[in-house]
Amino acid sequence: MLSADFVIATAIGYVGLLFVLAYLGDRRARTHKSSILHSPAVYTLSISVYCTSWTFYGAVGNAARSGLEFLTIYLGPTLVFVGWWFLLRRLVRISHLQRITSVADLLSSRFGKSNRLAVLITCIAVVGIAPYIALQLKAVTSSIQAVAGSSEFGQGSLKGIDDVGLAFGIAAGMALFTILFGTRHVDAKEQHHGVVAAIAFEAVVKLTALVAVGIFVVYVGGGFEEIFAQAEARGVMVDAANTFDTRWLTTLVLSVAAIVCLPRQFQVTVVENSDEAHLRVASWAFPAYMLLMSLFILPIAVFGLTKMPAGSNPDMFALTLPLAFGQDGLALFAFIGGFSSATSMIILESIALSIMVSNHILMPMILRFSAPGGDGKGVTSLVLFARRLSIVLILSMGFFYFFFTRDSDALAPIGLISFTAIAQFFPAVIAALFWRDASLKAATISIAAGFVFWVWCSFLPSFESVSPQVALLLSQGPWGISWLRPEAMFGLEGIDPLAHAAFWSLSANILILCTVSLLTSQSALERIQASVFVDVFKRGHVPSGNFVPGSATANDLYFVAERVLGETRAAALFEAEARESGVDPDMLEPSPGFIGRLERELAGSIGAASAHVMLSKVVSGSDVSLEEMMQMADETQQVITYSQELEKTSAELRSTAQQLEDANAQLRELDSQKDEFLSQVSHEVRTPMTSIRSFSEILLDGDEIAPEKRQHFVSTIHQESLRLTKLLDEILDLSALERGERSWENQPVNAEAALDRAMTVCEALLRQHGVTVEQGDRARTTMVEGDADRLCQVFINLISNAVKYNDSSAPVLRISSTTRAGNYVVDVADNGPGIAKGERKLIFEKFSRGQRGSVDQSGAGLGLAISRQIITRMNGSLDLVQGPLPGACFRVRLSVMR
Amino acid sequence: MLLLTVFGALLMLPPLVSVFNQSITHFGIPQIVFYLFVVWLLLIIGTGLLAHAVPRDSEPDEGQD
Repeated sequence: MLSADFVIATAIGYVGLLFVLAYLGDRRARTHKSSILHSPAVYTLSISVYCTSWTFYGAVGNAARSGLEFLTIYLGPTLVFVGWWFLLRRLVRISHLQRITSVADLLSSRFGKSNRLAVLITCIAVVGIAPYIALQLKAVTSSIQAVAGSSEFGQGSLKGIDDVGLAFGIAAGMALFTILFGTRHVDAKEQHHGVVAAIAFEAVVKLTALVAVGIFVVYVGGGFEEIFAQAEARGVMVDAANTFDTRWLTTLVLSVAAIVCLPRQFQVTVVENSDEAHLRVASWAFPAYMLLMSLFILPIAVFGLTKMPAGSNPDMFALTLPLAFGQDGLALFAFIGGFSSATSMIILESIALSIMVSNHILMPMILRFSAPGGDGKGVTSLVLFARRLSIVLILSMGFFYFFFTRDSDALAPIGLISFTAIAQFFPAVIAALFWRDASLKAATISIAAGFVFWVWCSFLPSFESVSPQVALLLSQGPWGISWLRPEAMFGLEGIDPLAHAAFWSLSANILILCTVSLLTSQSALERIQASVFVDVFKRGHVPSGNFVPGSATANDLYFVAERVLGETRAAALFEAEARESGVDPDMLEPSPGFIGRLERELAGSIGAASAHVMLSKVVSGSDVSLEEMMQMADETQQVITYSQELEKTSAELRSTAQQLEDANAQLRELDSQKDEFLSQVSHEVRTPMTSIRSFSEILLDGDEIAPEKRQHFVSTIHQESLRLTKLLDEILDLSALERGERSWENQPVNAEAALDRAMTVCEALLRQHGVTVEQGDRARTTMVEGDADRLCQVFINLISNAVKYNDSSAPVLRISSTTRAGNYVVDVADNGPGIAKGERKLIFEKFSRGQRGSVDQSGAGLGLAISRQIITRMNGSLDLVQGPLPGACFRVRLSVMR
Repeated sequence: MLLLTVFGALLMLPPLVSVFNQSITHFGIPQIVFYLFVVWLLLIIGTGLLAHAVPRDSEPDEGQD
């Protein structure tokens, strides 16, 4: 039999162990920058502070009372962590850049560093969390009572002390412990490595304890199957048909909101995060932790329902089951596990809340009422004092809630009341991160409205059992107005109270947030902060200096920094800045960037709004000059626009100049081509002219030339003059084609007919050279755009070239035509020597002739140039391709008319 | 990743979840309990795999999934 004294002594011993752990952790974190404390494992374990005694005791009770509903509390956070890339990563990045210390700080910073909003959120958080802390006190109290039982021996020194006294003792102990732990110093980034180490340790303890109890239950119960079979025999049903109703959805949504907005979750997940990469591990490890945690909850609940006497508290099954089987050691371990989960929650929650209270409520008050140039004692001690005060305040709130509602028995519903309160921040947080137009007024009014609905529909009804007035209110409505009854607002009756409260408060919240945001306009500072938050991944780190340079001296700033950060850190900060700008620390001129950095450093200690107020006092007239700065920014914007226009114009000029240059180069090129052409023409003309002249001179001089010879000379002169005429014709033709004169209208012509005609014309030539004509495949009658005579001219040219340049002993010519992919293609191939590689590019140029296999070089070398020119005019192409025969193959390609 | 989150949410909400709410047992465990835990486990595994797959640089682009 365990005695209460022994259990309490164990608990105190355990707390002592935690304290040592935290102390060592703090020391280690400070000396070893890369110790295990900065590992993703510790980070994940610290996030599991989400699993409080609500999980340890309450979930079992919840499972026993309403089946699977307890799972939603873990499935919601799972979804958030599965989607970490979208929400958590963004939150962590912004908070690191802006030195965010709490959810209130996040929202106030986003909405123009408004302190009023921060105060509102802090108040709501403190009131909203009170039930949650009461839950922990209640769980610990019940667990001690459960262990002690009602026997004389078990009660020990607790005899005569009731629940309230015990809870008070626990609350006082916790307050002392938290103060010793969490408020030993003010940290730059508000990170508490020692506490996190202790929390991580507690996470391991509570998981092991619950799993141990689970394994014990499964072992005693004879396996999962046996447990569920017995439960079914006893009529304890798990798959209740009405589990998946509005309440399922409500609790899922609330838990999604809670994992982000609960002050302690924000603290561990976002503020204590030392490396963004840790989120990667936590994204799957934390859901896995919760899976392990909830794996045995249902078996424990079901087994408890079947084994324990009717009327025993199902919340305490994890503790009472081992006791009922006489396993005192396991029961003690289970108690420590439950105690662990309660302490870790209370410690972190009150640290997180105390930071909010001191930064947003107490510090601004102290700053307002103390003269800025007062004693040089330093703000640090004031901050610490404010935090200690807040911790006491928060725990007393929790205790009073416990005191007033001590008669309600179940744990989980109390927690859900807190979840609903905290969920009021969620719409604003989402809007803060993703919606540029969300405004301060909208956020403030929507959260306030949601809070009012929460107080009326959720918080107030929880006092029903202790206050007859509240009970009356619930049944009749205020002043008898029935449609204002807290659990049936506007006549919405018959749904679950939690779903009812969540529906009205969140609906009002979101509706107001959206409409007021659209109706109101943002201040300058809000706009700046909105873009900093929403575009955090779009641009690099933008230093948000909201102060005008030159209006503050380094001395004033140093004084402020020293008061808040302490002498060493302030000095280090200023010296670093002086080194960076390369001046003597005494001569330092504070730049806007430096003031911005200083503001963020201060914000890390006292919150964004307080830091802003504090610096505003020193940096003269900054509130006014913010508007001026916006104006300056506008002017700058104008200058930038103007210079962009200038740049555009000069770019246009540059491109025009480039075009002119190109045109000039083209002209030069054409000019040189013309010169070349002329020299080639003269060369071509000169050869026949020379032979004509020499033969005619012979004829003129000599009389005794034989008549046959004379005849021969005359015919040579005739031939040469014919050739000359032909050459000149071709040149004229080509230049006319090139200049676009001698134009023809492209009209539908039968290409096959043109090809046939060309072959008929060349028949004599072919026969003369003894060329075998191979007929390849022929296309059917095909219409193309062009000129029939010109097309025929091209074909004749190709065929005669193939004949002229073919020096094979058995010359073969192969002509084929097909239509292919909308093109009419004619191939003219021969078995001649082909065209040497080096000439392939040149053969379409003017005056270029193939060097190989030419029997008579009578052509002027203009045929292919003219052909190509013609085909181009018909929007087709003439190319040299790899043909079916060893020699050259020319391909004409024209698009078929449709 | 967006897909995983949305699918996870859909699988946990009515009406999909009600489909599996039958009085059948698998391995002696009620089907719905079995179903929820399996969905949960798959989500964890999926996230674990994705967390290794997404880029690790300090200024990653947005909209990865």
